[in-house]
Amino acid sequence: MTTIGPALARRDGAVAGVWGGLALTSGVALTATSGWLIVRAAERPVILTLLTAIVGVRAFGMARPFFRHLERLRSHDSALADLASARTEVYAALVPLTPARLGRRSRSAVLTGVVDDLTDVVEAHVRVRVPVLSAAVAAFFAIVLTGALEPRAGLVVAVEMVLVALTARVGLVREREAQPLLGAARAEVGRAAELVARHTLEVQAIGAAADVLGRLDRAHADLADALRRQSRGRALVTGGVLALTGAATIVMAAVATGSDLSAGVTALLVVVPAALADAVLPLADSVRAQARAEQSRLRVDALLDQAPAIADAGTAQPPSRAPHLVLEDVTAGWSADHVDVGPVDLDLPPGRRVGIVGANGSGKSTLLAVLARALDPLAGTYRVGGRDATELDTEAVRDLVAVVDDEPHLFASDVRANLLLARPDAQDEDLRGGLRVAGLGSWFDGLPDGLDTRLGAGGRGVSGGERARLALARAVLSRRPVVLLDEPVAHLDHATATQVMSDVWNATSGRSVVVVSHRQEGLDMVDTILDLTPTRKD
Amino acid sequence: MKPFDPRLLQVAPTVRRPVILLGAVAAGQGAAAIGLAFALARLVTDVVAHEDWVRSAGWVVVAFLVRAGLGMLVERVGASTATEVSAALRRGLLERWLAAPVEGRPDAEKASTLAVQGASAVEPYAARFLPALVAGVVVPVLAVSALLVVDPLSAVVVIATLPLLPLFAALIGRTTEDDTMRRWRALEQLAGHFGDVMRGLPTLVAFGRARRQVEVVRAVSEQDRLATMRTLRLAFLSSAALELLATISVAIVAVCVGLRLTHGSMTLHAGLLAILLAPEAYWPIRKVGAEFHAAADGATAISRLLEHSVDGAHSGGTPSGSGVPAVVVEGLGYAYPGSQARVIDDLSLTAGLGLTVVTGESGSGKSTLLDLVAGLRLPCSGTVEAGRVHYVTQRPFLPDGTITEALRMGNAPELTAQELWSALRQVGLDELVARLPDGLDTSLGDDGFGLSAGQRLRLGLARAVLSDAPVLLLDEPTAHLDREGSALVTGLLRNLAAERCIVAATHASELVATAEQHVHLGRTLAEVTA
Repeated sequence: MTTIGPALARRDGAVAGVWGGLALTSGVALTATSGWLIVRAAERPVILTLLTAIVGVRAFGMARPFFRHLERLRSHDSALADLASARTEVYAALVPLTPARLGRRSRSAVLTGVVDDLTDVVEAHVRVRVPVLSAAVAAFFAIVLTGALEPRAGLVVAVEMVLVALTARVGLVREREAQPLLGAARAEVGRAAELVARHTLEVQAIGAAADVLGRLDRAHADLADALRRQSRGRALVTGGVLALTGAATIVMAAVATGSDLSAGVTALLVVVPAALADAVLPLADSVRAQARAEQSRLRVDALLDQAPAIADAGTAQPPSRAPHLVLEDVTAGWSADHVDVGPVDLDLPPGRRVGIVGANGSGKSTLLAVLARALDPLAGTYRVGGRDATELDTEAVRDLVAVVDDEPHLFASDVRANLLLARPDAQDEDLRGGLRVAGLGSWFDGLPDGLDTRLGAGGRGVSGGERARLALARAVLSRRPVVLLDEPVAHLDHATATQVMSDVWNATSGRSVVVVSHRQEGLDMVDTILDLTPTRKD
Repeated sequence: MKPFDPRLLQVAPTVRRPVILLGAVAAGQGAAAIGLAFALARLVTDVVAHEDWVRSAGWVVVAFLVRAGLGMLVERVGASTATEVSAALRRGLLERWLAAPVEGRPDAEKASTLAVQGASAVEPYAARFLPALVAGVVVPVLAVSALLVVDPLSAVVVIATLPLLPLFAALIGRTTEDDTMRRWRALEQLAGHFGDVMRGLPTLVAFGRARRQVEVVRAVSEQDRLATMRTLRLAFLSSAALELLATISVAIVAVCVGLRLTHGSMTLHAGLLAILLAPEAYWPIRKVGAEFHAAADGATAISRLLEHSVDGAHSGGTPSGSGVPAVVVEGLGYAYPGSQARVIDDLSLTAGLGLTVVTGESGSGKSTLLDLVAGLRLPCSGTVEAGRVHYVTQRPFLPDGTITEALRMGNAPELTAQELWSALRQVGLDELVARLPDGLDTSLGDDGFGLSAGQRLRLGLARAVLSDAPVLLLDEPTAHLDREGSALVTGLLRNLAAERCIVAATHASELVATAEQHVHLGRTLAEVTA
């Protein structure tokens, strides 16, 4: 199991906390010595006797921005270093879990969630650890220095700080309680809005604007409710700190008047709690960041804390580059304790085309995952060229199979790089050939910069049909003898789907093909159809 | 960027009240801070003079409690203002798009980004930046006014130095603006890289390229760190400079006060008050600067959202929709946005009660014609008049709710279960639904995922049966059905055609054979054969 964030950065965080603490201490000292100075000046002494304090005020005034600057540089640098290593570690940990352990649909949404969660977790370094450490350092100095002037004053500050810590603790509990609710509410708002934004025409067509807006309104109301609940945590810390400061100021005034102290020292002690408030008020932010980071960490850990779907078994190489694939009595499931499909037999000699159909949940994609060696069979045997696939090197078996799924990713890079990942040694000539075979000839001719045209985020937009064909072009270029298509036309309209499927058959001629689809387009071209719809037992 | 765009209040009038309330609470908080300075100065003076300080202690407690209460209120009001603003913008946007023809909307990808992330980016702006902005305006004014009364000389010092802060900030901003913009863009690219590689992970794994990317991720994250730190170093330096400037300004006030105190020309109370009030004039302004980046993202998002909400070039695309079962199209011409070629040119068509079929090759504009009749696209020329329309698209819209919810969408909410079952029977789905464990309450997946295209279409047709619209438009109503299914649907349409005007785009010859009217769309000309 992978945990996020190495120990090294913790030391950096501590250093940043010390700088931050010194900045806050300078701030408190600035206010306190100013108070002393003013009161002392009002007694009209010889100016020379004030010089030490004047130098002190000036020093503290300059020290505060200086230390704060150091703290910021240090904390952000170490947070970014943590982010870099957390990203690398999590990415590497996700590789063996991909694709079978990322959920069955919307894998890209799951992965985007991981990106955001990691940022939240690492941000907690800057927004939680450093402010808390800084506040602790400032509180320590305040207790020691006021204690040196008058022990009971030190005690007052100490008690105040303990109560502040308790308040922050209660605030954290409040924020934690609101987090799951808030996450669910945000997700529902996103779903409701996205559904409308992506299907505006279809909603208008049936006159359902009021229905979808009603759902959005309900989602917004829930979100508002969740945010109000969440705000209680922060409100508690903000209000609590200020109220405690008021109380501490009064107690301090009582202590100071009850002792035999000079006027200047009395003034200094009375303003200390107010000055400390600036140091501990940022804890309200920390409490929120901490609750969010905890929630994010739970999600990431739950994702990473899974066993890979493939037991690293064999090292043998597959016997042939054009293998005969056979499933015998295979059952499989996305988790070890649940059978999603099977027992199933499937015979796929080189060049055979098989369509897999069946109702939702009948295990079409599960079966494809077994063929792609993304998932071990729970029972039965998967033979590749006559040998049990689990005895063979997983990577080598995967090298025989090209997968085209329903959400192929286009990287934010040019057309060339997007195709080369399927075959790094391909020449431009090959790439253009692959695009033509996949039915993208005229699309390619229309590109402004040919293979250098940028695609993906920030680049040229592509339609659903073009995206499916680009995935097909990758499969073609990879020269892998088996092509597995998982709902390749799921999101396309009828006319486009028919054309894409016809390009699929042209492009994959001579290869073994398995296509999973809940739609009819193109299924007339397969040699056999495997229907997974379970026969009713009741 | 504009710190506050007044168009926000025009476009989303419902946010006026929460925004004003938030502003009022933030201003009240600032006033309480000033009041606290008075109370604290009084307390210190009384304590130092060994006078009775119970009264001033009471004021201090009151001031702290008021500040605490307002502080809590700001959190709460800030949170609800944030959701109200983002919700109003999001709803306004979607409502507008739902009333607009295809030409008046961005594409689906852009639309969903705007509606989901765009509107959410407004939340920190409303919750954090707006109160900071109000405090940044109100508190310095209050502090300076109070100083003018208490100690005019200190007020003059503050008034003289205060403008240096924004000026200084603007100067730093100006000299680094180009550089900052360039860096932000580079940063976005570097930060985007990880997300891109993550979303593409299944693809990379499928082609055996994922492990090689681990080192790339490490290297790019490291570059990201260095680039971010270069940008941040500059930002932090300018913020430190501003803080130093504020500190020096307060120090000038303090020196003046100190000199006059030792000279005896000022009371202790006035002196204390002056040095407690002076910082109150500076920190709110620095706070506005500190929230600037959260604000800049939010303000950019707002202006982008407002652009889409304000331009009122098109009014709603849906025709008024009378109860008449008829469609009259005259001289209709249409070209897709950004294209000159007309996909439909000078088409006229009159359809009344009965079934009209539209045929033509793929790409001849059948679906587009139905979109135009439904008022979902703006014609380039000609006119369309139609009664109230229910339009079954090729992929009928299904929510991720139950079958009941899917059937009730756009229809009267009081439909009974019997009516729903009857509609399902007419499209041949009743047996399938009856076999489902939860029957009508069975949940469909997101966007109807899990239904075959044929089942989806039948659900769409059942919904059309339930609708009371006099005009039904159907796009390929038999496309995904087997022979038996098509025969059933053809029979159903014959029945419906007795009371409604039905226009169906189709390839199916059996449907064409039973139609009252047949329109064939050619490549360039539309010919009508009655």
